[in-house]
Amino acid sequence: MSARNLSTVSTSITRVPGVAIVLGALCAMFGVMSPEFLTPANIANILTQSTILLLLALPMTLIIMTEGLDLSIGAVLTLASIVLAVTVVATGSAPLGFLAALMVGFCIGLGNGVLIAVFDIPPFITTLGTLGIAQGLSLLVTDGQSVVGIPRSIEAIYSGTVVGIPMPVVIGALAYAVTHGLLYHTRFGTYVFALGGNREALKVAGISVRGMLIRVYVFGGLMAGFAALLMTARLNSAHPTAGIGMEFDAIAAVAVGGTSFERGNGWLFGTLLGVIAVGVLRNGLNLLAVPSSAQVACIGAIVIIALFIDGQRGER
Amino acid sequence: MKYLTFSVTAVLAALFSNAASAEGETIAVFTKNLTNPYFQAVRVGTETAAKTLGVKVIQYVPTKPDSIPEQLSQVEDVIVKKPNAIVFVPVDYKALVPAVEKINAAGIPVTNITDRSAGGNFVAFVGADDYSIGLAIARRLLTAIGGKGNVIILEGVKGSLTSTNRVRGFNDALKETPNVKLLASQPANFQRLNALQVMENLMQSFPSIDGVLAANDPMAVGAIEALEAANRKAMVIGINGSREAVELIKSGKLLASGDFNGFIQGCIGTQIAVRNLRKQPTPKEVMLKPIVIDKTNFTPYETPVEQRTCPTIEQITSN
Amino acid sequence: MSSTPDVAVRSRLAPSRDVIQALYRLIAVALLCAALTALSDVFFTTNNILNVLRQTALLFLMASGLTLVILTAGLDLSVGANIALSACLAASVMKTTGSPLLGMATGIGCGAAVGFANGILVTALRIPSFIATYGMMWMLTGVTYYYMAGETIHGFPPGFRQFGSGYLLGVPMPVYIMMLFLFIGAFFAQRTVWGQQIYAIGANPVAARLSGVPVERRLVLVYAVSGAMAGLASLIILARINSAQGDIGEELTLPAIAAVLVGGTSLFGGSGTVAGTMIGALFLTLVLNGMNLLQIHSSWQPLVTGIIILLAVWIDNRTRRSDA
Repeated sequence: MSARNLSTVSTSITRVPGVAIVLGALCAMFGVMSPEFLTPANIANILTQSTILLLLALPMTLIIMTEGLDLSIGAVLTLASIVLAVTVVATGSAPLGFLAALMVGFCIGLGNGVLIAVFDIPPFITTLGTLGIAQGLSLLVTDGQSVVGIPRSIEAIYSGTVVGIPMPVVIGALAYAVTHGLLYHTRFGTYVFALGGNREALKVAGISVRGMLIRVYVFGGLMAGFAALLMTARLNSAHPTAGIGMEFDAIAAVAVGGTSFERGNGWLFGTLLGVIAVGVLRNGLNLLAVPSSAQVACIGAIVIIALFIDGQRGER
Repeated sequence: MKYLTFSVTAVLAALFSNAASAEGETIAVFTKNLTNPYFQAVRVGTETAAKTLGVKVIQYVPTKPDSIPEQLSQVEDVIVKKPNAIVFVPVDYKALVPAVEKINAAGIPVTNITDRSAGGNFVAFVGADDYSIGLAIARRLLTAIGGKGNVIILEGVKGSLTSTNRVRGFNDALKETPNVKLLASQPANFQRLNALQVMENLMQSFPSIDGVLAANDPMAVGAIEALEAANRKAMVIGINGSREAVELIKSGKLLASGDFNGFIQGCIGTQIAVRNLRKQPTPKEVMLKPIVIDKTNFTPYETPVEQRTCPTIEQITSN
Repeated sequence: MSSTPDVAVRSRLAPSRDVIQALYRLIAVALLCAALTALSDVFFTTNNILNVLRQTALLFLMASGLTLVILTAGLDLSVGANIALSACLAASVMKTTGSPLLGMATGIGCGAAVGFANGILVTALRIPSFIATYGMMWMLTGVTYYYMAGETIHGFPPGFRQFGSGYLLGVPMPVYIMMLFLFIGAFFAQRTVWGQQIYAIGANPVAARLSGVPVERRLVLVYAVSGAMAGLASLIILARINSAQGDIGEELTLPAIAAVLVGGTSLFGGSGTVAGTMIGALFLTLVLNGMNLLQIHSSWQPLVTGIIILLAVWIDNRTRRSDA
């Protein structure tokens, strides 16, 4: 089983993937055109701004590897951040709030997993439904208003530093390490690969396919709950529109990073590169003061270019 | 592969070659989205003022309309570039407070326009009193229907400060006329199609509607379309003073529109930012007076924003 | 071009199984209508029914082309953005030339061109449809924003307005257009060779190619059709609200996809019907209409819609399994 993982990783590294080319090109271009781009402050900005998306894209990689999709992850992030904020304001306890956020992520992730694995509802539609439910709950709880009054201690999670490195970057690195370890060095990870490419093998081995699928979506929900902590810290409040659209950004980052929708092969490092590429693009466009409508078009173009490059190399 | 990378880079470099160098002061302007004509008017106002004052403005708008995290990121990115000053419309008046605090910490002077931020230090606030506009325009409609009948309120986006204050104004005006009955108060997200469908549904439940108080012009237009399609008549008012509204006022389909003047706010905001940079005295707050645009005074509003000239701060604060 | 045994068997079996599915859905719609009639005394009035049908028509027109795309196991996320661009271009042409016909041609033409581009991305550049249409969505939006520059275009000739808000024999125009395309779409999918080939591509692209189906050409066709239908839908929106703005249609993409899926078409391709999509669109519109009539606060609407979508698909799954 681990031999299969090794071969996937090594074949991915020997061919330079589209995302790496795109990322390299963007960095080179922005580095030349903008004096501020390569400054430490700016690089710190890019990495910090990318963390929340990374936290969503990491579990999304696993989910897409199982030939699934989680459209609800942005709405779960939003709802979890609202629950966190409300709990902290009501009880004054940050750890309790964090726990509440994780619970929200866990429950919705579990709901997704059960609907998909047990009730056989396709992931697209399941998570479309739970997106509506989570979004609806967010609106109902807040009545459209921000939740404020959050103690500064939470804000420090986003703005603090650890030996000079911004806290979110540390958290992002940790999340990456954990997911990487999970995927490539545990049996759970091996089973995830099997869920995508070879479900028969799982059944033969006596592993419950349903159980595995549920676990994967629960992982997604938990990460969304975790990301909610960062989001609330960043805004110093919670808002029912905070996470809108992030699920599509996460899916795009995963796809740009090289994980295929169909064949169950995934590349976690590619997802990381994809997330950073998006962050670099947006940051560079802002630094260059590119007009907003052009920025919107560029984001679409980059995604297509990255996958076009992959396609040319015979990945598909 | 190398050729592809090179050509792509070359094309992109050519597209983005407007990374100009600044002569005169640089002011970064933040607005909420690219689609609401109100914010376009604000942007045009800032650019018109900038031209007269010899400064450069750079516009920052989220690619996803009204996106809070994106505006936060844009603020962080812009701080790295150290503009001389910032003119700021927060996407959400509470959620963007950390962004303002970052701007303050970086020592960049910032002027707040349109939505009053819930925190942070500003050079000044330039805005219009949504409540007073709502009150004034609702009173106009209530007078027009003779102080009795049935009305409907079309609210904006749930939770938006603008919507809340305007609707509060509507409701207070309604309290003054006890013979007028409020049938329903529904949000339509400041959007035209939304308002049209909400109106259609409300017309099913309520056979007799005399007046519609819409919290902005697109919703007022949507309501008018719905009424016309159903061959029903009612007095409708909106808020924004948009070109479309002015045309409808001219043709009599819209009773009036409240002047919520983005162009002037952009102008004044920029003027204050520049005066502050040049160490000239500036007012701490400029509130535009609530003006009701109707058949009697719509002519100045027919000029497109691009062709208008900026009033000075004194002109606005004196009357 | 003779079909393989697989395709022939499918075309004989598929209609009857899909007909049963459609019947189950019609029953669901009927039940919903019964419930709403009981709960609201304005539901079953002529005006309201016509309203529902008109709103359904818009959703259906968007979703009909999308059905063909999803039948090939693809997806088109760009329909909303396509509507915005097509509407804005059509509006601009109509204002400058004063001709509704030219405007309409522009709208549909733009929609089809965008669809064609999507098709090329998917077939020639071999980009997965999710990503290709997602990227296209952003690019279209950028172009639309740039073109509109934050302004609106309003005031179209009355002849054009009739298209969207006019009535013929007491029934709104969009309803006729919906029935027309329902017939065309169903006929195309079920009774033409091209339609059967589309099902085959979705069910088993390799087998389809081996049996001589020109897969790339058909795929480009379905994306172009999806785009053209978005163009048509944009015209109806223009006619209804009498103006164009950069962000119209944005919020319609996911409901359109939901209508197709609730209507029984599978995301894996190869099974589903255009008629099913119409029922799906009707169902979703009824849910919204019901919530509005019952004055359920708009904050509840995403929640209720989400739950209903899940219920509908779950019930569909159970019935599908019980007669498989």
